[in-house]
Amino acid sequence: MPSSPDARIAVDRVLCTGHGVCAQTLPGAVTLDEWGYPIIRSETVPADAASLAVKLCPARALYLR
Amino acid sequence: MTDLLTMLDEAGLTGRGGAAFSTATKVRAAREHRAELIVNVCDGEVGAAKDGWIVEHHLHELIEGAGLVAGDGTRRAVRYAAHRGSRTASLLAAAGLGVLEVPHRYVSSEETAVISAAHGGLARPMTKRAPFVFGGRDSQGRRIAPTVVLNAETVWRVSQVARFGPRWFRSFGTTDEPGPRLVAVGGHVPRPGVYEAAAGVALSDLLSLAGGLPPDARHVGVGGLGGVVLTASAALSTIWDTPGMKRHGGALGPGIVTVWDPYACPIDVAGELIAYGAGESAGQCGPCMFGLPALSQAWGELGRRPGVPAQERLQQRLSLLERRGACHHPDGVARFAASALGTLAAEFAAHADHRCQKERRPHAQFA
Repeated sequence: MPSSPDARIAVDRVLCTGHGVCAQTLPGAVTLDEWGYPIIRSETVPADAASLAVKLCPARALYLR
Repeated sequence: MTDLLTMLDEAGLTGRGGAAFSTATKVRAAREHRAELIVNVCDGEVGAAKDGWIVEHHLHELIEGAGLVAGDGTRRAVRYAAHRGSRTASLLAAAGLGVLEVPHRYVSSEETAVISAAHGGLARPMTKRAPFVFGGRDSQGRRIAPTVVLNAETVWRVSQVARFGPRWFRSFGTTDEPGPRLVAVGGHVPRPGVYEAAAGVALSDLLSLAGGLPPDARHVGVGGLGGVVLTASAALSTIWDTPGMKRHGGALGPGIVTVWDPYACPIDVAGELIAYGAGESAGQCGPCMFGLPALSQAWGELGRRPGVPAQERLQQRLSLLERRGACHHPDGVARFAASALGTLAAEFAAHADHRCQKERRPHAQFA
Protein backbone atom coordinates (compact mmCIF):
# COMPACT_ATOMS: atom_id res chain seq x y z
CA MET A 1 0.00 0.00 0.00
CA PRO A 2 1.49 3.35 -0.96
CA SER A 3 1.82 5.52 2.10
CA SER A 4 1.95 9.29 2.25
CA PRO A 5 3.82 11.09 5.04
CA ASP A 6 1.85 11.78 8.18
CA ALA A 7 0.32 15.07 9.24
CA ARG A 8 -1.08 16.23 12.59
CA ILE A 9 -4.59 17.57 12.61
CA ALA A 10 -6.19 19.95 15.08
CA VAL A 11 -9.55 21.66 15.43
CA ASP A 12 -10.08 25.35 16.00
CA ARG A 13 -12.83 24.86 18.57
CA VAL A 14 -14.01 28.45 18.29
CA LEU A 15 -14.66 28.07 14.57
CA CYS A 16 -16.05 24.53 14.67
CA THR A 17 -19.82 24.46 14.41
CA GLY A 18 -20.20 20.71 14.26
CA HIS A 19 -20.87 20.09 10.57
CA GLY A 20 -19.24 16.71 11.05
CA VAL A 21 -17.60 16.54 7.64
CA CYS A 22 -14.23 15.64 9.23
CA ALA A 23 -15.73 12.45 10.60
CA GLN A 24 -16.60 11.51 7.00
CA THR A 25 -13.30 12.55 5.47
CA LEU A 26 -11.17 11.03 8.23
CA PRO A 27 -13.12 7.95 9.34
CA GLY A 28 -11.58 6.34 12.39
CA ALA A 29 -9.37 9.29 13.22
CA VAL A 30 -12.35 11.55 13.93
CA THR A 31 -15.68 10.60 15.46
CA LEU A 32 -18.50 12.85 16.62
CA ASP A 33 -19.97 13.42 20.06
CA GLU A 34 -23.73 13.49 20.59
CA TRP A 35 -23.87 17.16 19.56
CA GLY A 36 -21.90 16.53 16.41
CA TYR A 37 -18.58 17.99 17.51
CA PRO A 38 -15.44 16.11 16.54
CA ILE A 39 -13.56 13.83 18.90
CA ILE A 40 -10.02 13.43 17.65
CA ARG A 41 -9.20 9.75 18.12
CA SER A 42 -5.88 10.05 16.33
CA GLU A 43 -4.07 13.33 15.73
CA THR A 44 -1.74 11.73 13.24
CA VAL A 45 -3.26 10.91 9.86
CA PRO A 46 -1.88 10.48 6.32
CA ALA A 47 -0.96 13.89 4.96
CA ASP A 48 -3.02 13.70 1.76
CA ALA A 49 -6.17 12.66 3.60
CA ALA A 50 -5.51 15.42 6.14
CA SER A 51 -5.19 18.18 3.58
CA LEU A 52 -8.34 17.04 1.80
CA ALA A 53 -10.21 17.06 5.11
CA VAL A 54 -8.89 20.54 5.87
CA LYS A 55 -10.03 21.72 2.45
CA LEU A 56 -13.51 20.25 2.91
CA CYS A 57 -14.18 21.56 6.42
CA PRO A 58 -17.12 23.98 5.90
CA ALA A 59 -16.24 26.02 8.99
CA ARG A 60 -12.54 26.16 8.11
CA ALA A 61 -11.96 24.89 11.62
CA LEU A 62 -9.79 21.87 10.83
CA TYR A 63 -6.13 22.70 10.43
CA LEU A 64 -2.70 21.11 10.29
CA ARG A 65 -0.30 21.59 13.14
CA MET B 1 24.00 43.62 37.74
CA THR B 2 23.82 40.15 36.28
CA ASP B 3 21.50 39.90 33.31
CA LEU B 4 17.88 39.49 34.41
CA LEU B 5 17.27 36.44 32.21
CA THR B 6 20.26 34.63 33.69
CA MET B 7 19.03 35.42 37.17
CA LEU B 8 15.54 34.18 36.37
CA ASP B 9 17.01 30.99 34.92
CA GLU B 10 19.11 30.43 38.02
CA ALA B 11 16.22 31.23 40.33
CA GLY B 12 13.95 28.77 38.53
CA LEU B 13 10.97 31.09 38.78
CA THR B 14 7.82 29.70 37.19
CA GLY B 15 4.47 31.31 36.44
CA ARG B 16 2.37 31.76 39.56
CA GLY B 17 -0.93 31.96 37.72
CA GLY B 18 -1.24 28.19 37.76
CA ALA B 19 0.48 26.96 34.60
CA ALA B 20 3.96 26.98 36.21
CA PHE B 21 5.76 27.68 32.94
CA SER B 22 9.36 28.92 33.08
CA THR B 23 9.32 32.69 33.48
CA ALA B 24 12.82 33.03 32.00
CA THR B 25 11.69 31.28 28.81
CA LYS B 26 8.60 33.46 28.56
CA VAL B 27 10.45 36.70 29.20
CA ARG B 28 13.15 35.73 26.71
CA ALA B 29 10.53 35.15 24.01
CA ALA B 30 8.79 38.39 24.95
CA ARG B 31 11.99 40.34 24.49
CA GLU B 32 12.83 38.65 21.20
CA HIS B 33 9.46 39.62 19.78
CA ARG B 34 9.23 42.97 21.54
CA ALA B 35 5.96 41.73 22.96
CA GLU B 36 3.56 43.97 24.77
CA LEU B 37 3.36 43.06 28.48
CA ILE B 38 0.10 42.60 30.31
CA VAL B 39 0.21 41.89 34.03
CA ASN B 40 -2.72 39.69 35.04
CA VAL B 41 -4.09 40.98 38.34
CA CYS B 42 -7.54 39.43 37.95
CA ASP B 43 -7.56 36.77 40.70
CA GLY B 44 -9.78 34.94 38.23
CA GLU B 45 -9.93 31.53 39.93
CA VAL B 46 -12.62 30.83 42.51
CA GLY B 47 -11.18 31.72 45.91
CA ALA B 48 -8.16 33.60 44.51
CA ALA B 49 -7.04 36.75 46.33
CA LYS B 50 -3.27 37.02 46.00
CA ASP B 51 -3.06 39.32 42.98
CA GLY B 52 -5.19 41.96 44.68
CA TRP B 53 -3.13 41.49 47.84
CA ILE B 54 0.04 42.34 45.92
CA VAL B 55 -1.53 45.53 44.56
CA GLU B 56 -2.58 46.50 48.09
CA HIS B 57 0.74 45.74 49.74
CA HIS B 58 3.54 45.66 47.18
CA LEU B 59 2.44 47.84 44.28
CA HIS B 60 5.78 49.57 43.98
CA GLU B 61 7.64 46.27 43.59
CA LEU B 62 5.02 45.05 41.14
CA ILE B 63 5.62 48.10 38.95
CA GLU B 64 9.36 47.61 39.29
CA GLY B 65 9.05 43.97 38.22
CA ALA B 66 6.91 44.92 35.22
CA GLY B 67 9.56 47.46 34.19
CA LEU B 68 12.27 44.81 34.44
CA VAL B 69 10.31 42.33 32.35
CA ALA B 70 9.36 44.89 29.73
CA GLY B 71 12.91 46.25 29.43
CA ASP B 72 12.91 49.14 27.01
CA GLY B 73 11.93 47.47 23.78
CA THR B 74 8.17 46.93 24.12
CA ARG B 75 5.62 48.20 21.64
CA ARG B 76 3.51 49.97 24.18
CA ALA B 77 3.29 50.71 27.89
CA VAL B 78 2.60 47.89 30.33
CA ARG B 79 -1.05 47.30 31.12
CA TYR B 80 -2.61 45.67 34.17
CA ALA B 81 -5.63 43.43 33.62
CA ALA B 82 -8.22 43.57 36.41
CA HIS B 83 -11.92 42.94 36.74
CA ARG B 84 -14.07 45.91 35.82
CA GLY B 85 -15.09 47.96 38.84
CA SER B 86 -12.97 45.89 41.26
CA ARG B 87 -11.05 47.43 44.14
CA THR B 88 -7.85 46.23 42.45
CA ALA B 89 -8.77 48.09 39.25
CA SER B 90 -9.38 51.34 41.10
CA LEU B 91 -6.14 51.03 43.10
CA LEU B 92 -4.21 50.49 39.87
CA ALA B 93 -5.94 53.43 38.18
CA ALA B 94 -5.30 55.64 41.21
CA ALA B 95 -1.60 54.82 40.88
CA GLY B 96 -1.74 56.14 37.32
CA LEU B 97 -1.22 52.73 35.71
CA GLY B 98 -2.75 51.58 32.45
CA VAL B 99 -5.65 49.33 33.42
CA LEU B 100 -7.18 46.80 31.06
CA GLU B 101 -10.59 46.14 32.52
CA VAL B 102 -12.17 42.78 31.78
CA PRO B 103 -15.72 41.66 32.65
CA HIS B 104 -16.48 39.72 35.83
CA ARG B 105 -16.59 36.36 34.13
CA TYR B 106 -14.58 33.30 35.02
CA VAL B 107 -12.92 32.88 31.62
CA SER B 108 -12.28 36.63 31.08
CA SER B 109 -9.01 36.44 32.96
CA GLU B 110 -7.72 33.46 30.99
CA GLU B 111 -4.49 34.37 29.19
CA THR B 112 -5.81 34.46 25.62
CA ALA B 113 -9.05 36.19 26.72
CA VAL B 114 -6.96 38.97 28.23
CA ILE B 115 -4.94 39.21 25.01
CA SER B 116 -8.12 39.37 22.95
CA ALA B 117 -9.46 42.19 25.14
CA ALA B 118 -6.12 43.98 24.91
CA HIS B 119 -6.51 44.11 21.13
CA GLY B 120 -10.01 45.45 21.12
CA GLY B 121 -11.83 42.13 21.03
CA LEU B 122 -14.16 40.52 23.53
CA ALA B 123 -12.53 39.11 26.66
CA ARG B 124 -13.05 35.55 25.44
CA PRO B 125 -10.42 32.84 25.03
CA MET B 126 -8.85 32.46 21.61
CA THR B 127 -7.59 29.34 19.89
CA LYS B 128 -3.88 29.26 20.51
CA ARG B 129 -2.40 27.84 17.32
CA ALA B 130 0.97 29.17 18.52
CA PRO B 131 1.86 31.22 21.61
CA PHE B 132 0.69 34.82 21.16
CA VAL B 133 4.07 36.06 22.31
CA PHE B 134 5.04 35.50 18.65
CA GLY B 135 1.99 37.41 17.46
CA GLY B 136 -0.74 35.72 15.48
CA ARG B 137 -4.38 35.87 14.55
CA ASP B 138 -7.62 35.05 16.27
CA SER B 139 -10.06 32.59 14.66
CA GLN B 140 -11.69 35.36 12.62
CA GLY B 141 -8.34 36.42 11.23
CA ARG B 142 -7.90 39.53 13.34
CA ARG B 143 -4.23 40.36 13.73
CA ILE B 144 -2.87 40.01 17.27
CA ALA B 145 0.44 41.76 17.92
CA PRO B 146 3.03 39.89 20.02
CA THR B 147 1.73 39.95 23.58
CA VAL B 148 2.80 38.27 26.77
CA VAL B 149 0.68 37.87 29.89
CA LEU B 150 2.31 37.31 33.25
CA ASN B 151 0.55 36.76 36.54
CA ALA B 152 0.95 39.57 39.08
CA GLU B 153 2.74 37.37 41.59
CA THR B 154 5.19 36.22 38.92
CA VAL B 155 6.03 39.84 38.12
CA TRP B 156 6.40 40.67 41.81
CA ARG B 157 8.77 37.70 42.22
CA VAL B 158 10.82 38.96 39.25
CA SER B 159 11.50 42.16 41.16
CA GLN B 160 12.51 40.13 44.21
CA VAL B 161 14.85 37.90 42.21
CA ALA B 162 16.47 41.01 40.75
CA ARG B 163 16.78 42.62 44.15
CA PHE B 164 17.78 39.72 46.40
CA GLY B 165 19.23 37.29 43.87
CA PRO B 166 18.54 33.69 42.79
CA ARG B 167 20.21 32.22 45.87
CA TRP B 168 17.82 34.04 48.16
CA PHE B 169 14.92 32.88 46.00
CA ARG B 170 16.09 29.28 46.12
CA SER B 171 16.32 29.36 49.91
CA PHE B 172 12.52 28.88 49.83
CA GLY B 173 10.61 25.89 48.54
CA THR B 174 12.03 22.72 47.04
CA THR B 175 14.79 22.16 44.47
CA ASP B 176 12.20 21.49 41.78
CA GLU B 177 9.78 24.19 42.87
CA PRO B 178 11.83 26.97 44.39
CA GLY B 179 10.80 30.31 45.77
CA PRO B 180 8.19 31.76 48.06
CA ARG B 181 4.54 31.55 46.99
CA LEU B 182 1.40 33.31 48.02
CA VAL B 183 -1.59 31.24 48.98
CA ALA B 184 -5.13 32.42 49.61
CA VAL B 185 -6.50 30.32 52.47
CA GLY B 186 -10.22 30.73 52.83
CA GLY B 187 -13.57 29.21 53.66
CA HIS B 188 -14.16 27.55 57.02
CA VAL B 189 -10.96 28.68 58.78
CA PRO B 190 -10.52 31.09 61.70
CA ARG B 191 -8.43 33.66 59.81
CA PRO B 192 -8.97 33.60 56.05
CA GLY B 193 -6.39 35.59 54.14
CA VAL B 194 -3.39 35.67 51.86
CA TYR B 195 -0.29 34.03 53.31
CA GLU B 196 3.26 33.45 52.13
CA ALA B 197 4.39 29.85 51.96
CA ALA B 198 6.52 27.68 49.69
CA ALA B 199 6.26 24.36 47.91
CA GLY B 200 7.07 21.44 50.19
CA VAL B 201 5.21 22.60 53.29
CA ALA B 202 2.60 20.33 54.80
CA LEU B 203 -0.91 21.36 53.83
CA SER B 204 -1.68 21.31 57.55
CA ASP B 205 1.03 23.93 58.17
CA LEU B 206 -0.41 26.03 55.38
CA LEU B 207 -3.81 25.81 57.04
CA SER B 208 -2.23 26.70 60.40
CA LEU B 209 -1.31 30.09 58.95
CA ALA B 210 -5.04 30.77 58.76
CA GLY B 211 -5.70 29.44 62.25
CA GLY B 212 -5.64 25.74 61.49
CA LEU B 213 -8.07 23.20 60.15
CA PRO B 214 -11.13 23.28 62.44
CA PRO B 215 -11.97 19.88 63.99
CA ASP B 216 -15.37 19.82 62.29
CA ALA B 217 -13.92 20.43 58.81
CA ARG B 218 -14.53 17.58 56.39
CA HIS B 219 -13.31 18.67 52.97
CA VAL B 220 -10.56 20.91 51.65
CA GLY B 221 -10.46 22.30 48.13
CA VAL B 222 -7.07 23.04 46.58
CA GLY B 223 -6.88 25.18 43.44
CA GLY B 224 -10.46 26.43 43.10
CA LEU B 225 -12.75 25.34 40.27
CA GLY B 226 -9.81 24.08 38.23
CA GLY B 227 -8.44 22.21 41.23
CA VAL B 228 -9.24 19.20 43.38
CA VAL B 229 -10.98 18.40 46.66
CA LEU B 230 -9.53 16.32 49.48
CA THR B 231 -11.05 14.85 52.61
CA ALA B 232 -9.87 16.67 55.73
CA SER B 233 -7.84 13.64 56.83
CA ALA B 234 -6.16 13.36 53.43
CA ALA B 235 -5.44 17.09 53.55
CA LEU B 236 -3.68 16.70 56.90
CA SER B 237 -1.25 14.14 55.48
CA THR B 238 -0.56 15.91 52.19
CA ILE B 239 2.56 17.84 51.27
CA TRP B 240 1.83 20.95 49.26
CA ASP B 241 4.08 20.45 46.26
CA THR B 242 3.54 19.00 42.80
CA PRO B 243 4.32 15.36 43.74
CA GLY B 244 2.12 15.63 46.83
CA MET B 245 -0.79 17.21 44.98
CA LYS B 246 -0.40 14.93 41.95
CA ARG B 247 -1.35 12.02 44.17
CA HIS B 248 -4.76 13.65 44.40
CA GLY B 249 -4.88 14.59 40.72
CA GLY B 250 -4.03 18.19 41.52
CA ALA B 251 -1.22 20.70 41.24
CA LEU B 252 -0.01 23.78 43.10
CA GLY B 253 -2.16 25.83 40.74
CA PRO B 254 -2.78 29.49 41.45
CA GLY B 255 -2.34 29.17 45.24
CA ILE B 256 -5.80 28.58 46.68
CA VAL B 257 -6.83 26.46 49.66
CA THR B 258 -10.49 26.51 50.67
CA VAL B 259 -11.97 24.63 53.62
CA TRP B 260 -15.53 23.70 52.73
CA ASP B 261 -18.46 24.54 54.97
CA PRO B 262 -18.98 21.31 56.97
CA TYR B 263 -22.68 22.10 57.44
CA ALA B 264 -23.49 22.02 53.75
CA CYS B 265 -23.85 18.81 51.78
CA PRO B 266 -20.51 18.48 49.96
CA ILE B 267 -22.24 16.92 46.94
CA ASP B 268 -24.26 20.12 46.73
CA VAL B 269 -21.21 22.33 47.24
CA ALA B 270 -19.40 20.57 44.41
CA GLY B 271 -22.57 20.65 42.31
CA GLU B 272 -22.91 24.40 42.76
CA LEU B 273 -19.32 24.90 41.65
CA ILE B 274 -19.82 22.69 38.60
CA ALA B 275 -23.04 24.53 37.74
CA TYR B 276 -21.22 27.84 38.10
CA GLY B 277 -18.48 26.54 35.79
CA ALA B 278 -21.09 25.50 33.23
CA GLY B 279 -22.64 28.96 33.34
CA GLU B 280 -19.24 30.56 32.86
CA SER B 281 -18.53 28.88 29.53
CA ALA B 282 -17.93 31.60 26.97
CA GLY B 283 -20.22 29.66 24.66
CA GLN B 284 -17.69 29.54 21.86
CA CYS B 285 -16.65 25.91 21.74
CA GLY B 286 -19.34 23.25 21.37
CA PRO B 287 -17.82 20.62 23.67
CA CYS B 288 -17.74 23.20 26.51
CA MET B 289 -20.98 25.02 25.70
CA PHE B 290 -22.97 21.74 25.67
CA GLY B 291 -20.65 19.47 27.63
CA LEU B 292 -20.46 21.47 30.86
CA PRO B 293 -24.22 21.88 31.34
CA ALA B 294 -24.56 18.16 30.58
CA LEU B 295 -21.90 17.40 33.19
CA SER B 296 -23.69 19.60 35.69
CA GLN B 297 -26.95 17.81 35.02
CA ALA B 298 -25.28 14.41 35.33
CA TRP B 299 -23.80 15.47 38.68
CA GLY B 300 -27.23 16.46 39.95
CA GLU B 301 -28.73 13.15 38.82
CA LEU B 302 -25.99 11.16 40.51
CA GLY B 303 -26.56 13.09 43.74
CA ARG B 304 -30.30 12.40 43.66
CA ARG B 305 -30.21 8.80 42.45
CA PRO B 306 -26.73 7.36 42.86
CA GLY B 307 -26.19 4.17 40.98
CA VAL B 308 -24.33 2.59 38.16
CA PRO B 309 -26.30 4.20 35.29
CA ALA B 310 -25.91 7.73 36.71
CA GLN B 311 -22.26 7.09 37.47
CA GLU B 312 -21.63 5.88 33.93
CA ARG B 313 -23.38 8.91 32.45
CA LEU B 314 -21.20 11.20 34.54
CA GLN B 315 -18.03 9.34 33.52
CA GLN B 316 -19.07 9.62 29.88
CA ARG B 317 -19.50 13.39 30.28
CA LEU B 318 -16.12 13.68 32.00
CA SER B 319 -14.36 11.82 29.21
CA LEU B 320 -15.57 14.30 26.57
CA LEU B 321 -14.24 17.51 28.11
CA GLU B 322 -10.49 17.11 28.01
CA ARG B 323 -8.57 19.16 25.45
CA ARG B 324 -11.69 20.00 23.51
CA GLY B 325 -11.88 23.75 24.06
CA ALA B 326 -9.89 26.76 22.94
CA CYS B 327 -8.94 27.24 26.59
CA HIS B 328 -8.72 24.76 29.45
CA HIS B 329 -11.90 25.77 31.21
CA PRO B 330 -13.68 22.49 30.39
CA ASP B 331 -10.56 20.53 31.40
CA GLY B 332 -10.46 22.34 34.73
CA VAL B 333 -14.11 21.74 35.58
CA ALA B 334 -13.79 18.09 34.52
CA ARG B 335 -10.71 17.67 36.73
CA PHE B 336 -12.57 19.18 39.67
CA ALA B 337 -15.67 17.02 39.10
CA ALA B 338 -13.60 13.84 38.73
CA SER B 339 -11.76 14.65 41.94
CA ALA B 340 -14.97 15.42 43.83
CA LEU B 341 -16.52 12.21 42.52
CA GLY B 342 -13.71 10.17 44.06
CA THR B 343 -13.40 12.14 47.29
CA LEU B 344 -17.14 12.18 47.98
CA ALA B 345 -17.62 8.42 47.49
CA ALA B 346 -18.89 8.04 51.08
CA GLU B 347 -21.40 10.86 50.59
CA PHE B 348 -22.69 9.36 47.36
CA ALA B 349 -23.05 6.01 49.12
CA ALA B 350 -25.09 7.71 51.84
CA HIS B 351 -27.31 9.33 49.21
CA ALA B 352 -27.77 5.93 47.58
CA ASP B 353 -28.97 4.71 50.95
CA HIS B 354 -31.54 7.54 50.97
CA ARG B 355 -29.85 9.54 53.61
CA CYS B 356 -27.51 12.43 53.56
CA GLN B 357 -24.78 13.05 56.08
CA LYS B 358 -26.02 16.64 56.21
CA GLU B 359 -29.65 16.05 56.94
CA ARG B 360 -30.21 19.55 58.19
CA ARG B 361 -30.21 20.80 54.64
CA PRO B 362 -33.20 20.10 52.44
CA HIS B 363 -31.49 19.40 49.19
CA ALA B 364 -31.70 15.88 47.94
CA GLN B 365 -35.05 14.78 46.60
CA PHE B 366 -35.16 11.05 46.80
CA ALA B 367 -37.60 9.21 44.66
